[in-house]
Formats: sequence, C-alpha cells, structure tokens
Amino acid sequence: MVERSQKEVWKLTPWLVLILLLGNFILMAFDAREITSGQRIIRVWTQTIADFVQSPVTSISSGVTRYFSSIANLRSAQDENTKLQEQVYQLQLQIESTKGLSEENQRLKALLDFKDQSKLKVLPARIIGRDPSVWFDSSIIDRGSLDGVKLNMPVVANGGLVGRVTAVSPLTSQVDLVTRDKSGLGAVIGEIGSSTALGVVTGTSKKDVLEMKYVSGSTEVEVGQAVFTTGQDGIYPPGIKIGDIVQIISGSATTPHQIFIQPAAKLGSMQEVGVLLYEPPPRIPFEQKLTPPTKEKK
Amino acid sequence: MEQVKLTAALVIAVILQWTLRNVAEPFAYIDFPLIIVVYAALQRNSMRAILFGTFSGLAVDALSGGLLGANGFSKTLVAYIVSEVARRVYMDNLLLRIPVIAGACFLDDALYYGLHRILGQEPSGQFLIVSSYTLIGTTIAGTFIYLFLDSFMTEKLAKGKREMFPTRRTTRRRNPIRLGK
Repeated sequence: MVERSQKEVWKLTPWLVLILLLGNFILMAFDAREITSGQRIIRVWTQTIADFVQSPVTSISSGVTRYFSSIANLRSAQDENTKLQEQVYQLQLQIESTKGLSEENQRLKALLDFKDQSKLKVLPARIIGRDPSVWFDSSIIDRGSLDGVKLNMPVVANGGLVGRVTAVSPLTSQVDLVTRDKSGLGAVIGEIGSSTALGVVTGTSKKDVLEMKYVSGSTEVEVGQAVFTTGQDGIYPPGIKIGDIVQIISGSATTPHQIFIQPAAKLGSMQEVGVLLYEPPPRIPFEQKLTPPTKEKK
Repeated sequence: MEQVKLTAALVIAVILQWTLRNVAEPFAYIDFPLIIVVYAALQRNSMRAILFGTFSGLAVDALSGGLLGANGFSKTLVAYIVSEVARRVYMDNLLLRIPVIAGACFLDDALYYGLHRILGQEPSGQFLIVSSYTLIGTTIAGTFIYLFLDSFMTEKLAKGKREMFPTRRTTRRRNPIRLGK
C-alpha cells in the first residue's frame, strides 16, 4: 500500500471528483433522452455550442475560396462572354417559338382544372459542418428547431434525395446521408403506379453508391432508369428522385436483382440543401387496429 | 501553466476537428484530438491523458454520425496505454514519438471500427484504406504539432531542443604525448 501525503491527496482529489463527475455524466448522457423527440441531449447541447464556431469558419473559408476562384475565373470570362452572347441570341429565338406552345399549355391546364399537388414546403439550409469522424458522412446544417426542423424530416439537394434529419438543436441539425448503411428506404424504379419494380434502397460501404434490394428477378430493369421514393417507409414522401441505376447484377425467377444506384444529389460537394417540412401521416399502432374481443352474452 | 496550455491545445484540436473537414475533405484524415491526447500521455501524467481522451472523444462523437462514446472509449484506452508505455520507456526524443503517434492512431482506428462492428454498425469506407490514410495524415501532422508544442512549452524549450536529436556521447581521448610524460 502506497502511503500518500496529505498534499498529494489534495492534489488528487479534484481529479477523482472530475472522474466521478465524468462517469456520471456519461451515464446520464447515455440514458437521457429528450421526451418529445427521443434524441440524445448531449448531441443537442454540443451542436448548439459548435454552431458558434462552425458557422463563422464556413463563412470565412467559403468567402476566401470564392475570392480566389473569382480571380481565376476572370481569365476565361472574355471567351465565356462571347459564347454566352451567342447562346442568348439562340435562346431568344427558342423562347419566341415556345411562347405559343406555353400559352396553349396554359389554356389546356385551365380546361382540365389542373392543380399543383406539391404541398411540400422546402426550407433552404447551408451545410456548416461535416462529420468530424472520417468513418461517417453526416452533415450539420444551419437550420434547427427554431426554423421548424423536426427529427426525420427529409433533406434534398439538386433535385435528389440527400438523407434525413437525425438530430435537432435550436440552431442546427444533423443530417444522415442516404449512403449510410442500414438507412433503408422504400423505392420504386420508374414512376409510382406505372411500375411494379419495388424494393428497398440501402447504403453501401462505398460513399457514392446505393444498393437496391428485393426487386424481383423477373422484373425488367435497365441501366439509366431513375429510382424514386415510394413513401412506404413512413419517413420520406413519395416521388423524390433517389438516383439513376448504374449497374445491375441480374437475378432469376427465384433470386432478386442486385441493383446499384448513383445518388442524384452530389453528396460529396454539396453546400446548400433543402429541408422538406414534411411530416408523414401518423401510423396507428398495431394494437389499436385490432378491436378488443367482446364476450358473447349468453 | 503547462496544464492550461495543454487544455487550450486540446480545445483548439477539437474545434479544428469539428470545422476543418468542411473546408477541405483531406483534413478528415487528421485526428487532431488524438495528437494532443498522445502528447499529454507522453508527459507521464496518465490521469490527465485519460481525461483528455474521454473529453475529446465525446466532443467528436457528439457531432458524428457514429456511436456516442466510441471515440471516447478508444481515445481513453489509447491514452492509458501510451502513458503506461511512456512511464516505462524513455520517449522524450521526437524521433521516438513518430512511431508512437502512428501506433496510437492505428490502435485508435482499429478500436473505433471494431466497436462499431461489434455493435452492428457499418462505418463507411474500407478499414485498411481509411486507417492507412488516417495513419499517414495524423503521423505527419502530429510530428509538426509536437515540434510546435515543444517550442511552445517555454519551460521545456532548452531541454526539448537538446533532446530532440540527442548527440552521441563522445569519449575523451587521452593525449599520447601527455601519457608519455
């Protein structure tokens, strides 16, 4: 047994307290969940703190990058200007010719009483942080619960699906990309209603490739076909483009196709995204669907 | 004072880890908090190194898509192992620290990846490729950061300079003429 002097014990005591506090904190962090959203409180706190650092750094770095790229772009500006002027003349001619067609289209729409069915509101957001761990690809956006962002809201960019919100703080949110493994979502090849090629899209170990599973081997699929969400997963709304098929390992009558998809959104280089303020219709728990058995009166 | 400086270095390292990947993707392959944790462990204060490991690991985990506590676990264990080795083996030489940071980085990656696989998570990227890039990035950055930290710790400046590349001890030659006398 090592004898410690009083002075040494005094020195060690704060450390011991710190360790105990730390241990308790970790336990609390693991156990504590926000009642309404069910997410870890430690993530919410850290995201809020990190926002004060990440936002200025992103603004400064993008400003510097933009400045230098604008200098570099000046060189080719003259050539581009000439080309663009030519294009402008061509496009003006095209506009004149399409004007008549669009007017006709408007009239037909009015006749059919066409209504825009897209009720999804898009909240534009800027990516202010990327996953600090090289093993994962989540992103931090500058919109949080104060802007109306909620857990599991879908995120899109460049007309394609990016992922969903997995943690929300008042000022920022964390977005998990669709390429992350285990993030399965209901998908269909081609348009919903006209296609029967239904399956589940999951991430792969590769960063820019998704895999579509459970598509029947007897269904005809082709490289280049677009894949859309079905909305059956209860998170994503139907009709959002996931990507295009780049590779097919054909199945048979008994085995499904193995389909690889390139995401429509440029996940590696995106700077701005849109949060779809979409909440899926509430699902009735299984127990509530069943009517309780009633005793027959004799 | 040294305590405050190292803590400040750790805070800066965590902030860099949070922000630099958004500036340029290659920065993701540098584990800044691990560099500081290993540096603290090499100072032979194991308790401080362990606490540094836990705090920095949790700070990184909180903003990551990975499991909360995985980085904290791996960095705490790495800090303990390095501090125990440093207590037994002389490692105040910069050249000796290079393999230490490389080994610590590989161990940290292996633990982090292994923990996720055990708990049913699939990190993106192949282990060997990602860990190799991380090892190279962290080792190179770590070497320069250690040089900077050694010069920054003013109390140890003279000692650090002396021990960075220690000169070989030369034996005193005896003068044969004097011996003849």
